[in-house]
Amino acid sequence: MRYEISDEPGGPTLVLRDQLTFADRDPFDGVIDKLLARRARRVAIDLTQLDYMDSAGLGMLLTLRDRAERADTEVVLRNPRSEVRELLVLACFDTLFAFEEG
Amino acid sequence: MAGARATRALVVDDERMNREVIVANLRASGYETVTAEDGQQAWEILDRLPDDFDVILLDRRMPRMDGMELLGRLKADERLRHIPVIMQTAYASSDDVVDGIKAGVYYYLQKPLDRMLLLSVVASAVDAHGRFRRLSDDLQKRLSALSLLDSGTFRFRTLDEGNRLAAALARVCPRSQFLAVGLAEMFTNAVEHGNLGITYEEKARLIVEKRLAQEVEARQDAPANRDKVVTVLFERLPGAARFTVRDEGKGFDWRRYMELDTARAFAAHGRGIAMARRLSFDSLEYRDPGNEVTCVVRGEVLSPRGRSAEGDGADRPVAGPAPVRRSTMDEDLKIARTMQAELMPPAALLERVRDSLGARVSGYFETSSDLGGDIWGLEPLDDHRFCLWLADFSGHGVTSAMNTFRLHTLLQNVAERDRPAAFLAAVNARLAGLLPVGQFATMLYGVVDVAARSFVYSGAAAPHPLVVEAGSLRTVIGDGSGLPLGITKAARYVERRLDLAPGAVLFMASDALAESPAEDGDVLGHDGAVELVRKGVAAHRAKADIDALLAPFLATVRRPLRDDLTAICCVVP
Repeated sequence: MRYEISDEPGGPTLVLRDQLTFADRDPFDGVIDKLLARRARRVAIDLTQLDYMDSAGLGMLLTLRDRAERADTEVVLRNPRSEVRELLVLACFDTLFAFEEG
Repeated sequence: MAGARATRALVVDDERMNREVIVANLRASGYETVTAEDGQQAWEILDRLPDDFDVILLDRRMPRMDGMELLGRLKADERLRHIPVIMQTAYASSDDVVDGIKAGVYYYLQKPLDRMLLLSVVASAVDAHGRFRRLSDDLQKRLSALSLLDSGTFRFRTLDEGNRLAAALARVCPRSQFLAVGLAEMFTNAVEHGNLGITYEEKARLIVEKRLAQEVEARQDAPANRDKVVTVLFERLPGAARFTVRDEGKGFDWRRYMELDTARAFAAHGRGIAMARRLSFDSLEYRDPGNEVTCVVRGEVLSPRGRSAEGDGADRPVAGPAPVRRSTMDEDLKIARTMQAELMPPAALLERVRDSLGARVSGYFETSSDLGGDIWGLEPLDDHRFCLWLADFSGHGVTSAMNTFRLHTLLQNVAERDRPAAFLAAVNARLAGLLPVGQFATMLYGVVDVAARSFVYSGAAAPHPLVVEAGSLRTVIGDGSGLPLGITKAARYVERRLDLAPGAVLFMASDALAESPAEDGDVLGHDGAVELVRKGVAAHRAKADIDALLAPFLATVRRPLRDDLTAICCVVP
């Protein structure tokens, strides 16, 4: 996993690149800390450049959602591509997260 | 695994077919194999290369030298007597089995071989042998003194000392396979929860934060704890050994930890006591307030005189020494792996479904290096329907394997077995309260109806099932989508249907099939997985089974697998 947090007008955006897999669990926890430390009402996770995610990646998104909910922050998933989109659709994550394109 | 070389099995059978089946299965699991056609040839190989084998699979009935005769020779030979022997035979009377066990076989398998059982028994034999080789010298030195011990008191302070003591004490009871693990678990509790006052909740958090070892060390050095010790009283009783473990802590609510209950099976730890109790000890009693526990193990206890009768017991899987904490983890993994393998449907059930419903179901399960969370199963519902499922817990390690174990139990208590969507909703509702955030299971559950020629199913984020018609090779890909199980109580599931023409092949697999890299780094992907099945059906038609379909994949996939692989093939009449 490579990532970057940028503070955009609409709220902080976490840009994820390459892969999100079992091996990223620990670093991802730290990323959640940084993201939620901004105490924004809404955070976006930009998946445009994420090429691959496994089921552990789904679990990490769920952990993010849970912690964000407790911090009163909404999580939006932006622009999932190809395989990542397929996995999110397979797991019906549209019922758990807001999605946006663009 | 023994030493640096690959684990090697000697397969002795006079029938070529049998040898090939065993060799294929063992090689798929990463073992090297050498074959012999009878006892005489096997003896010549072993006599020449006594250090080359970790396990022997021995047919009982063979020309020239039969299995029992070879076994006798092995056990009489100092160089070879420690190699575990798994004996198989087509017609095992109970007398035969008793003879074999008395003569020192590690396990007795009945033909036709149940693949899962074969692999789990071989793995367990190889593990036992590996430990034996690594530690036999060291242990012999300790044994010589300990076997003279009638009763004694030991004191230790650190986890490391506790583990070493557990390994040494376990040797006085050679029949108790998991005694070292059980003792190590008790000793660990006495140090961590007793003397150092780490609560179960704290330990769970420390494990998650990967700070347990650090915290234990820090507390151990604190002035208040520096002089605290754990005292172990060992007593030899007639036909039993008793261990009394006492720490200097305040005690704990031990009653909560005596059974493997559903809630805790999903927690990061806290199964140790229940597992130790189930596997290692014949009885285990805490004394209030909980800082003293007495464990009893029955059976032949090595005594100063008893050691001369070693031929009967010493070649059996001896107590696994646990010289460092890591070994306890390995033991846990091993136990969990065996338990998980045993959850898969037995061959007899598959035969019953074939005979009564005409559907030929075959499954493949291969566990990953550090254990995943796969499970599959089936169950006849009436004279024309059976249900079929495949589930995959997220994560790795003992926790996910234990999750499959609990799911197996849970599935048996869910009604609505013929209504897939309601069934998944019910399973989901039960899991939702139990699984920690971020953990879940994916599952495909469906009902095969051979009269209505349909597979009605529901998915919870499972890889899509697919049907290939054996004649036309027409392929229909289903839809496994749905919320993963255990995330939110309110989840609802959708029922879908696939038609099953005569001779159609229904296929489903865990995501490891699409995602496991081959030796060259390529992965099949979802399209590749569909293509694999299609090609397999094209080549084998109605004779297709899971081994045939997966063969090209299994031949090239990189091992050990990163995740559990499970796949099911069902050919309808």
